[in-house]
Amino acid sequence: MANTVISQGITIEGELTTDDDVVIEGTLRGKLVSKDTVKVETGAVIEADITASSLSVGGQITGNVTASDRVDLMPGARLIGDVKASRLTIADGASFKGNVDMDV
Amino acid sequence: MARTSSTSHGETAVLGKGTNLRGRIAGDGDLRVEGTISGDVALKGHLTVDGGAEITADVQARSVVVEGAIEGDISAQEAVAIRAGARVSGAIRGASISIEEGATVNGRIDADFELPPELGGKGGR
Repeated sequence: MANTVISQGITIEGELTTDDDVVIEGTLRGKLVSKDTVKVETGAVIEADITASSLSVGGQITGNVTASDRVDLMPGARLIGDVKASRLTIADGASFKGNVDMDV
Repeated sequence: MARTSSTSHGETAVLGKGTNLRGRIAGDGDLRVEGTISGDVALKGHLTVDGGAEITADVQARSVVVEGAIEGDISAQEAVAIRAGARVSGAIRGASISIEEGATVNGRIDADFELPPELGGKGGR
């Protein structure tokens, strides 16, 4: 189980900074910085910039995402914002609008 | 689509040890805090503030258990339990309030109960 879980029905407004991995099923507005992995589950709504080591998205994100390792957009994911990561996968059924910077 | 069968006892949200929130957190479910929060907490569920956790803001929840530190007012519809080792500075308000030996509390305690009339329940000042 993840160290930090923002479950369904929970809304955070502000800046969340963590060393731990994070699972978000609820709503987050503001900013999220994690040194570990971030998982945005189906049903989650994020209006925030996210920085993480790796990010997997099943829900909705409006904001720019930066990952030192990778970003995975799962089927059903919706991302409006720029991606900066050395690896990016976009699954069939994911929607994405924004720029990709793979920093070669 | 995922059905949201919202029982008021959803799963517990957790802010882990290495987590620091600057901002507000609100919601229907329960929350366990192991990290630090500076910003208001407003929950419809239970709030647990673990030992080592620190909250600098007012908290509101159905019930509250404090083992860590809270600098701000605590307000609960049900019970507030201040456990041994906890540090609270601020007003505590709840239907029932318990403070264990070894806890540090600085502030007003405001428990909701009716005083019997012979003790001046309706007397006022």
